Amino acid sequence: MKSRKTSLAATFLAVALAAAIFYFLSAPGASQDVKKDEKENEIIHPWDGAKKTPVHLLQLRDENGQLIIPTESYPFPYSSRHTCEPCHNYDTISKGFHFNAPVSENDGRPGEPWFLTDPKTGTVLPLSYREWAGCIKPEEIGLTAWNMTILFGRNMPGGGTAEPTPEMEAPDPEARWNVSGKAEINCLACHNASPRQDHGEWAKQVARENLRWASTASSGIGQVGGMASRLHPTWNIYDGPNRDDQEWAVAPQVKYNPAEFDSRHRYYFEVTHKPHDSNCLACHSATPVGQALNESEPDIHRASGLQCADCHRNDLGHDMTRGYEGEAAEKGMKNLEGFTCRGCHLGEDAEGNRTVTPGRQGAPYPTHAGIPLVHFRRLSCTVCHSGPVLKEGFGRVRTSAANRLGIYGLASWATDEPVIFEPVYAENGRGKIAPHRLVWPSFWGRLAGDKLEHLKPEEVMAAAGDVLKSEEHIAGILMALSSASAEGEIPVLISGDHMFQLNVDGGLEGRPYVADKKAPWFWAVLMEGAVSPFVPDFDPDSLERDPEIEARIFNALTALSSSSGGRRPVFLVKSTVYRLTDGYLETVARPEDAGGLNGFYWSGEKSFEPLATEFDVGTVTAKAGTGKTLTEEQVSLVLQNLKRASENQGQAGDFVFVAGGWMFSLNQHGKLVAEKHRAAEPVMWPLAHDVRPAQQSLGWNGCSDCHSVDSGLFFSTLEGQGPLLTRKKEKRSSVEFMGASGIYKRFFGLTFLVRPILKIVLTFCGLTIAALFLFAGFQALGRISGLNDRR
Amino acid sequence: MFTAVTAVSVIFFFFVLSFHRFWATCDLAGKNLVLVSLLWTYLGWLKRRTIEISRSWSSKKLLAADGLFKRLPLWRASPFEKWLFLLFYLSFLYLAASGFFFGLFIRRGLYGYPLLLHVTSGGIFASCLTVVVIIKARDYIEMPKPLVLDISLFDPRRLGISALRAQYASFWIFVVAGFLLIMSSLLPMMPFLRYSGQKLMFEIHRYAALVSVLAAAMFIDLECFLMEKGEAK
Repeated sequence: MKSRKTSLAATFLAVALAAAIFYFLSAPGASQDVKKDEKENEIIHPWDGAKKTPVHLLQLRDENGQLIIPTESYPFPYSSRHTCEPCHNYDTISKGFHFNAPVSENDGRPGEPWFLTDPKTGTVLPLSYREWAGCIKPEEIGLTAWNMTILFGRNMPGGGTAEPTPEMEAPDPEARWNVSGKAEINCLACHNASPRQDHGEWAKQVARENLRWASTASSGIGQVGGMASRLHPTWNIYDGPNRDDQEWAVAPQVKYNPAEFDSRHRYYFEVTHKPHDSNCLACHSATPVGQALNESEPDIHRASGLQCADCHRNDLGHDMTRGYEGEAAEKGMKNLEGFTCRGCHLGEDAEGNRTVTPGRQGAPYPTHAGIPLVHFRRLSCTVCHSGPVLKEGFGRVRTSAANRLGIYGLASWATDEPVIFEPVYAENGRGKIAPHRLVWPSFWGRLAGDKLEHLKPEEVMAAAGDVLKSEEHIAGILMALSSASAEGEIPVLISGDHMFQLNVDGGLEGRPYVADKKAPWFWAVLMEGAVSPFVPDFDPDSLERDPEIEARIFNALTALSSSSGGRRPVFLVKSTVYRLTDGYLETVARPEDAGGLNGFYWSGEKSFEPLATEFDVGTVTAKAGTGKTLTEEQVSLVLQNLKRASENQGQAGDFVFVAGGWMFSLNQHGKLVAEKHRAAEPVMWPLAHDVRPAQQSLGWNGCSDCHSVDSGLFFSTLEGQGPLLTRKKEKRSSVEFMGASGIYKRFFGLTFLVRPILKIVLTFCGLTIAALFLFAGFQALGRISGLNDRR
Repeated sequence: MFTAVTAVSVIFFFFVLSFHRFWATCDLAGKNLVLVSLLWTYLGWLKRRTIEISRSWSSKKLLAADGLFKRLPLWRASPFEKWLFLLFYLSFLYLAASGFFFGLFIRRGLYGYPLLLHVTSGGIFASCLTVVVIIKARDYIEMPKPLVLDISLFDPRRLGISALRAQYASFWIFVVAGFLLIMSSLLPMMPFLRYSGQKLMFEIHRYAALVSVLAAAMFIDLECFLMEKGEAK
């Protein structure tokens, strides 16, 4: 009976389960999902064949899909998803190369990574979501989508990382998406044909965390004011303007120009199907360091009238044609063979077969007269035709994405870091030599066995304490002294053969100064090119004290007090100590153990300490004029501090600093030592542009352009570049990057001296054999015809 | 493509030369063999010869081969001629070995020091070949008779194909291939040829090398054959 009941219950459960499955399968939601998938792949308005860009007179819609009325108060920024979507499928576009880095399945040939740079900690870390050699995944050092967007969003076209899915948001509770909104794909970053398109404005809006407003502002559709970065984390766009603060924490808001809208609230988008080059170059420029604008030559393709998008094409999926050999095979799209240099100019696919129709856009067929075939098999076209001509060593180049070029304003956005070198000729992964750009990474890390964990700059700064703050300390004192200086006076620190003063950003700037190197450092003022003591000589015991001098001392002590960190500043002169007591200047007799000290000091419990420590002054003096930001002493101290902090947390592991091709660590005696490590290897990515005209190609002047005993192409030496001031320097020649032997290449270069002789010998041999053969042939012919016998 | 052509050519030449030996050494006179049975007889002979050679591969035989080696006319030549031929043979051997090894088995092709040595050997080979043609061509030429139009022209038995004449032919084929090798090395270094011309020269170089190796093999085989018969020059 019991088993029968069980059986009945089981049958009932089975029927119920089947019914439930049927219900869910037939439920509207499921069918909607299917329809949604279909819709995603649907081309809403397929191209009808008309070769013109339609007029884009559109009603703007906000992120909720609501119509934007430009005259209403506090209107929302326009949303590309809701404004463009009715005709262009947003989800399809979002899978494009510019937006799919975090989820891409085909990363393709390595490109330029993002560089996390931090001069204070000397960090230059190549980051990429893509599986590119030498790059670190952002999540490996704890960088979330939010961090990446704020750090690098200036050169992102929205979407992807800047518009993360809920799964991508989850790991970062400190993200402020709620305040900033998400940066949707900025269609206008590329397709805006209006001269008002402003990449710099986009970068500024991203820096202000005005992500959802950035597109509206940069395209010139509306003016955006306010800064989301200053708002309370609980603020959201529906809260409207910040009534409590109209000056500092001003909420972002848009002002549209009603005159630019028609009566139906439609805005005229001046867009183009094929993006203008200036829009591409906003993020893809690369310029040799030190090159003047009037010396700059355009890519030969641009000079010939082509645009970037003529070759770098895409369909609605925005999967950009990158144009490298092998891309066609990777993507399974045979037609891409025609978009490589080789395909377009020679009509050959990546394997060298003539399967492509050449001559697109009038591409000329190159003669390559006298260039042996091995060059085409071993070298990519770009070796001879792209990048700067390698004359004397490697050149430095700055790129938009790495060095923040093309962002203009009162402040200078462009940076020297990271230091990028080109052209470095190395194998491109397809057995060919290609020119690359190169960066030596530098970073702090924890070494656990073979595994190297990269440390974020914030972690290093936290553990380093004051070790990495020498510049900051001295700049703080100079800042305080400057507030006590008279008009036209610039407080300076003179140390060694350098004079240090504040720069416009409040940082420390050193410049050469002719002084006695052995003299102790001192604070002074610079006025009209002359250096004088901050406080002129005077006698404090005199009956008539100069009130101006005492006022100066008072002001300086007051300013120093405000940045003293609890310490008490004093001014020592002869037998007198000036100090502040209850806001008044007071003089007391100098203690006997104060020695011959003169000038400003911190008053300690038992002694007087200089305003800046010997370590701080020594550090900035050592680095002055070298372009380096760290000394070996600093690195040793930070490594010790990191280890101590780690041990305090009960964690093991050795800490290292990687820079300039070496990995630095402390040995068992606490001494800094350097060793090789794969993590110290430079990161490289191939360069393709700018392409030079044929007459400026390598080989135009003959074989000796490259093949000689002192060839720049083979024997230029690249020195490991890093923030550390050290004698330990990695040096590599071009041939090492190529994986070739230097001795062989020199020997090979030498053969070109005797090559003319070989040519003469071969010519003589060939002509002689041909003559004999012809003679014998004529003889035989004469014999066959009987003419010889008749003679 | 080149690999396949090389493999097929070598196999084909092996069978042609071995069939010539079979035809010349086996007494088939008076036997009216049909093609199939001829083939089976040949294959049987080939099998026997292979077994014989493998069994007799001993030091004694090597010494015997050494004797053959010592009997080569090279050693009887004047010192100048001796060095000329030594250089000629050695350079050709290295050119063939390095070229085919890298060409067939190394994806990148010939490179590095072997390439430098290849180019150097090429210069020596070209020089030696030129002298060889000058001083030896006369030994490998037979002037044809005045041509008379006759139906017998089309009778292969009247063409007078012999081992000696085949050796003459192989000599001249080798010379032509050598000439093509020289020109296909020289012209790519001159500023005349465009990309397609360079490609053509590369192909000519490869196939001329193959032809020269096959011609040399044929020449040597026939030389040995004629030496055994006492007809060698």
